[in-house]
Amino acid sequence: MVSPWSGMSNVIRPLRELWGRLFQPRPKPALASFTEIFDHFQELLRDHQQVMELIADLGEKSGGEYIFDRKYLADLTERLKTLLLRMVNGLNLITPRRYVDLYSTLDRIFLPLDAELRGRLSLSAEMPYVVPLKELPLDRPELTGGKANTLGRVIQSLHLPVPDGFVITTRAYRRFLEQNQLEDRMHALLESWASGEMDERQTARQLQYGILGGVVPHEVAAAVKRRVEKSESYWAVRSSAYGEDAEVSFAGIHESLLHVPPADILPAYRKVLASLFSAGALLYRNTMGMLGEDAAMAVLCQETVSSVAAGVVHTLDVADPQANSLVIYASLGWGRTVVEGTGSVDRYVIDRAPPHKIRTQEISLKRTMLGPKPGGGEEEISVPRAEQDKPALSGEVMQTLVQWALVLERYFKRPQEVEWALDGEGRCWVLQSRGLMFPKAQGWAREDVVEIGGRYSALLQDCGLVAHAGVGSGPVYHVDSDAKMNSMPEGAVLVIKYTAPWLARIVPRASAIIAERGSAAGHLATIAREFRVPTLVGVEGATRVLRDGMHVTVDTKQRVIYEGQVHELLQYELVRTLAFEETPEFRVLRRLLKRIAPLHLIDPQSPGFSPEGCTSVHDVIRFIHEKAIEELMNLPSLVRRFRGVQVWTLVSDLPLGLKILDLGGGIDPRARERKAMPGDLLSAPLLALWEGLAAPGVWSTDPVPVDLRGMISSLTKTRAEPSAGAPSPGANLAVISDSYMNLHLHLGYHFNLIDARLEPDASRNHIYFRFVGGVTDMTRRSRRAQLLASILSRCDFKVDTRGDLVVARILHLPREDMHNQLRLLGRLIGFTRQLDIQLRSDEDIPHFVESFLREHLPLGAMSLR
Amino acid sequence: MSTDKLKVMVLDDEPIVCKRVQPALEKLGYEVESYTDSHAAIHRIQETEYDIIVTDLKMKGIDGMQFLQEAKKRSPRTEVIVITGFATLETAKESFHKGVFDFIAKPFKLSEIQDVVNKAAAKIRGSGT
Repeated sequence: MVSPWSGMSNVIRPLRELWGRLFQPRPKPALASFTEIFDHFQELLRDHQQVMELIADLGEKSGGEYIFDRKYLADLTERLKTLLLRMVNGLNLITPRRYVDLYSTLDRIFLPLDAELRGRLSLSAEMPYVVPLKELPLDRPELTGGKANTLGRVIQSLHLPVPDGFVITTRAYRRFLEQNQLEDRMHALLESWASGEMDERQTARQLQYGILGGVVPHEVAAAVKRRVEKSESYWAVRSSAYGEDAEVSFAGIHESLLHVPPADILPAYRKVLASLFSAGALLYRNTMGMLGEDAAMAVLCQETVSSVAAGVVHTLDVADPQANSLVIYASLGWGRTVVEGTGSVDRYVIDRAPPHKIRTQEISLKRTMLGPKPGGGEEEISVPRAEQDKPALSGEVMQTLVQWALVLERYFKRPQEVEWALDGEGRCWVLQSRGLMFPKAQGWAREDVVEIGGRYSALLQDCGLVAHAGVGSGPVYHVDSDAKMNSMPEGAVLVIKYTAPWLARIVPRASAIIAERGSAAGHLATIAREFRVPTLVGVEGATRVLRDGMHVTVDTKQRVIYEGQVHELLQYELVRTLAFEETPEFRVLRRLLKRIAPLHLIDPQSPGFSPEGCTSVHDVIRFIHEKAIEELMNLPSLVRRFRGVQVWTLVSDLPLGLKILDLGGGIDPRARERKAMPGDLLSAPLLALWEGLAAPGVWSTDPVPVDLRGMISSLTKTRAEPSAGAPSPGANLAVISDSYMNLHLHLGYHFNLIDARLEPDASRNHIYFRFVGGVTDMTRRSRRAQLLASILSRCDFKVDTRGDLVVARILHLPREDMHNQLRLLGRLIGFTRQLDIQLRSDEDIPHFVESFLREHLPLGAMSLR
Repeated sequence: MSTDKLKVMVLDDEPIVCKRVQPALEKLGYEVESYTDSHAAIHRIQETEYDIIVTDLKMKGIDGMQFLQEAKKRSPRTEVIVITGFATLETAKESFHKGVFDFIAKPFKLSEIQDVVNKAAAKIRGSGT
């Protein structure tokens, strides 16, 4: 082990030497030996692999199929930390000691992870005082409160129209208490209430007095002002307490102020904060056993919708929950009368099943309605006589509301109570959505659900892997073309052969997804999780058994697909089971994942590719891996550093001049004299790639001008006379083992990098492909990047492009599939190596894409136009 | 009707385990009670006999080992399934050879716990109780 001191600057050399004398009595050799370096390198690869597996493991747990607790999250984070520390040590041994900065990178990444695990981060300086709804961090309901969090999801994930606005966060609330020195006083007051010294009215009055008289901290006030100064509209200022609208309903307990002019927002803010301590709120929290917890109020400010009608939708009829109907309540003007249960309200009972027929409607006589008061606030307005006995809603508006309510229910996995408004221009708005409270009948729906097996036939059973857990039902819809993708109906069960990333945009519309192939660690699985769509992958025969239009119910928990709509099961899931997505453990998991899994460091040439640029665990291991490989790639220096490095030369007809470093098992031991024929290759990934590269017609495709070909061969002619042991810089090099390959391939001015592992266990497999450069101008090179990107993404790779850089990744497919993908990459490298010269315009791209796919795509893959 | 339902107790001091396991087992037709407090659970087994008990091994208060012994003493025919953390799996296997129906390691799939409970139920029904 190297000590972290060892690479530091000369300034602390005396200190380092002291440490050296104290702890390393024997003088260390100046450099580690070559075998030692290679041992470190292999250990580094193994650790890299393990970290990738842990990341995948964590990702898999976010799909809801597993039950885990906080200890699992803490243990896994600890294991990551140990592995990364070892990798940083390893890299500093290999390089030697050039990346000691990585130690502080580790601190920077792991300290917040620990804070997340302890639940301490939300109120830290990292969090804002004010945040717009459109950018709300969705995994932090404790920062923005339950109500705002829900609206953030409705906007960002479901794309339903919600009046624009912002949230004054719980961090601002804490700051408010701090500035006005209220915390201790509040604590004392609550204690004297708890001990019976004061009644709740006295307590509430004193608490509220403190808040109403407080000064809003100037940084909070300034942030609010920035949000409202450009707007001319009036604002609705509502409470969004943590816990509100989540497990327990605070409906109507806290204050909501409507039609507030911009200038009055801060006083309104104080009023809403104070409502957290009204006598009613105190009693309610006490009854719910929540008084001991720190109450914290976020406040939601939204532009007022001047509604002509408003009300709520219940996705179940509370009076008759088994009836499979939903209920719309509507009044004229503003909606407060509905929510508060005052005034005259229409009631429409509607079929949950399409085409959503109205079962009954009760139209009330509406003499008055609530509306805006000039200058702010609300007032009662009389309704013109002719309008008084008319329905408040048209059939069309009802259809919209029903659709939205069902989308919301599907996403939140609970029967919903949706507040809505209809504006003067006929547009509908979602104002709020929360879990619908209704009395749970004892044992309700339970008996039915046990006997489902007898009543419905299972079309498919015990098949596939769970990418996201849940139950969904709808008509089967096959997507095998762009056109079909665009016309997928809302709530269909999407059935596909492959989980290609470009399907992402229709995921939110699906009630469930079934794929014949694909991996639970793939891109589509990630999207399915984001939108909470129950998803099974690897369901053999799905496209054959599940015919277009057939109504089915998917239960990933039993891994069964039933024919028909299994009403009992859908109700059971909605009413009885916990929506795992809403549990604290899953929230913590998602937050950890955000700091662990994303890869931001794509381009090793960019200035951000540095220890400082690493912002996730994945970034760090990517950086370490790249730098370790880079060290090995520098063959001349390596050879100078270590005598006796064994470098193989691949002898073949292709002008590659490939040098090979075998870490073990990659080359047949019978090969002699440092020369390997293709037949001597044992490395599974290199073999697969070679199959593609060397396939007939791949290396030389369409005729290319001779001079160009000459140029290319001259650039790659290292094959001609391999000089023993001292290859030229920038040579083509593969570092391989029986199951691993890291290949750097310069062809002309193009540079390909492939890092791949192929093992029997699919969860260990990956391919990482990077392509950059070219002899032509930037435009043509970018064109080729586009070409590669579109081919690769059609072949299930996750692809990023920047200019002429293409990075493609694929994870966790079974060995045969990975083999095919590598063979395809081999063909693609051959196909595109000269293409930028032929790509004269953007219009050429589709032509070349098609021509490649026609010739090389494995049978059965999707053909999208 | 309800007399032929098997009674299951789930005990784990992590609420999320109880909250998710209970409906998953109820869905299969078991009558399930869940506890996060081992003292309350030990009190409960003095008054009720369960067919199957699913208990965590490491808990605050009375640990799973003690609880298991107590449960077996009260009702030898009760089948006990032990949930263990990954780290304690080996010790669990060694020390629990007697009397435990099966083990399940955290994190586990819903379907895994369902399968194990079903197997225990099949054993109970097969032995003609």
